[in-house]
Amino acid sequence: MATVTKETKNSIHVDYEGKLTFKERMISKLKTANTWIKVVINIFRFILMLGVSYVILYPFFSRIAGSFMSKEDVVDSTVALIPKNFTLDIYKYIIVENHYFEALWNTLLISLMCAIVQTLISCLIGYGLAKFKFKGNKIVMAIVVVTMVIPHNTLSIAMRQHFSGFDLFAVKAWGLPGPIELLFGSPLELTHTPIPLLLLSLSGLAFKNGLYIYLMRQFFKGVPDELEESAYVDGSGVFRTFFQIILPLSVPMMITVFLFSFSWQWTDEFYTRMIWGTGSEFYLMPDIYANPPTSLYKFKDYAGWSLYKIVIQNTAGMLIIAPLIILYLFCQKYLVQGIERSGLVG
Amino acid sequence: MSDNINQVSVEEGVTPATISASELGSDGLLNKRKKVSLDARKARAGYIFVLPFILGVVLIYLPILLDSVWFSLTERNTNDPFNIVYKFVWFDYYVKAFTDNANFVSNLIAGIQQLIFEVPAVIIFSLFIAVVLNQKMLGRAAFRAIFFLPVIVSTGIMETINAADFMSSQTQAGINDGSGGGGTNEIISALDVERLFSSMKVGGELVTYVVNIVNDVYNIINYSGVQMLIFLAGLQSISPSIYEACRIDGATGWETFWKVTFPMISPMILVNAVYTIIDAFTRTQNPVIKYINTITDQSSSTAMSWSYFVIIILIIAAVAAIASTFIFYQRRD
Repeated sequence: MATVTKETKNSIHVDYEGKLTFKERMISKLKTANTWIKVVINIFRFILMLGVSYVILYPFFSRIAGSFMSKEDVVDSTVALIPKNFTLDIYKYIIVENHYFEALWNTLLISLMCAIVQTLISCLIGYGLAKFKFKGNKIVMAIVVVTMVIPHNTLSIAMRQHFSGFDLFAVKAWGLPGPIELLFGSPLELTHTPIPLLLLSLSGLAFKNGLYIYLMRQFFKGVPDELEESAYVDGSGVFRTFFQIILPLSVPMMITVFLFSFSWQWTDEFYTRMIWGTGSEFYLMPDIYANPPTSLYKFKDYAGWSLYKIVIQNTAGMLIIAPLIILYLFCQKYLVQGIERSGLVG
Repeated sequence: MSDNINQVSVEEGVTPATISASELGSDGLLNKRKKVSLDARKARAGYIFVLPFILGVVLIYLPILLDSVWFSLTERNTNDPFNIVYKFVWFDYYVKAFTDNANFVSNLIAGIQQLIFEVPAVIIFSLFIAVVLNQKMLGRAAFRAIFFLPVIVSTGIMETINAADFMSSQTQAGINDGSGGGGTNEIISALDVERLFSSMKVGGELVTYVVNIVNDVYNIINYSGVQMLIFLAGLQSISPSIYEACRIDGATGWETFWKVTFPMISPMILVNAVYTIIDAFTRTQNPVIKYINTITDQSSSTAMSWSYFVIIILIIAAVAAIASTFIFYQRRD
């Protein structure tokens, strides 16, 4: 005889003869081997993840701990993570003498500019490659991959020459003047300005842009065609459809690409060195790290200098990535979401 | 009534007579001309979307590329700094890089060895972590946040800093310097593993491989962030109903992984393999890139990097060919 004791929208509680109580059911469940195997696997998995997380996070902890140490603590073998003589000297000298805030501001402007432009441009190019069948579509995709594969060092010398005397479609080896030289009399001097980075970002050729284009392309391939078709039927043009329907859809993926391009531009050393050279007055993040501050460099004859120098460099590294970590804490949710929803297909 | 209908159609300006005259082609198919023009219009829109890239490649990238190739094929005479003379020497510098320069070849071999060691390790590790992170578990969100942290903060200049840190902790092994050894001190020694493996009768190569992986675990984790993300995205795109069907049919987790997850994820394995190769080859800490950076002579350094590039392309082609034998593409129609 079964009687309904409680009925809600989603569940029905039924009483019947010989029904086990909650406690009895739990005990019988605990007796089966399957439950125990599951518990053991869960614990093992958790410990494993914890271990890998430790390997990732340990350098951060030890570097932060090291940054508060005085130069005596560095060589003291009894000091592990907690410094004996707590000091903020390293921070103070890096921030003051290595122009940290100036570098922060400059890097922020450049990274923001590059990240915004690169995100939008890779959106455009990715959409064009994913949704339109035109002649040479596959060739363009192949070129995107090739731009990714060519090591930057291969092009660095030629690139520097090109941007110090910039002209469109002018191969230096031929010696023929390009359109800019014909119009203005001389090619443009673009080194020591952020314009080369802007130009490369605008054309989707900057650092790792091939990856962003690929990610966007795969994302747009997952967007059903019916969406655009219905928009076309309603009389919306291709570009209006893109800006009003497709772009809002792709915000999670755009945040992912933005996060990548922002942080990779932030820590980039190659392009900024190429454009500004070393020892320029325009301070950027790599300059923080390049040389120890002069007030600390005077200890260079100190016996533990090689260790102390590493500590200074690590502190500089922590200062470089501190803003990125703050940004990441806010955006990491979207990073995973963007990738998850992308439904990337091979 | 019929007059009325006729009048409406006349008012709209489309009479049956005009349709048959203009819209119908010679072969009598109605929509054909319209459809082609729509396709052409869409193709044009496609060109406009990729136009920035094409313009950039043609106007900026290609000249740089050609100049770089030109440098590698010419000898630069800088005796007179105001009149630098380029002499075309064909592939002399390429031949020199491989015949005269023992360092280049040895670095190249070291780079390729590192790659053979690194690519499988990164792919297996990132696939494993992605599968685990895809399951429901305690603290999943926190673990995900931690695991993707290296993607954001371990590139560019941080690679250089990590490498310097690693070097110092290697040379200072034994001294507890507290300077942030990076957890990279030797975790296990080859001796322990050898003892473990000696009873199992496996080769010494495997032993060194395992020891290398365990000792290099920090770098491998750092290098596999993007791969993890791509695998995770691939795993998310597998329909849950397939897993449900497997469970109903009584498949174990092991069987489900090899018969369902692995084939479905195999295109991602190729993508990740190619990405890992590119990443490993173009990274600043790569032995070949490091060596090329030390060379001041423009011609030989560009010649070396171009021959290096050709080798990368060949390796990627080989990997793609091998991978295409086991890749499974799901029909999506």
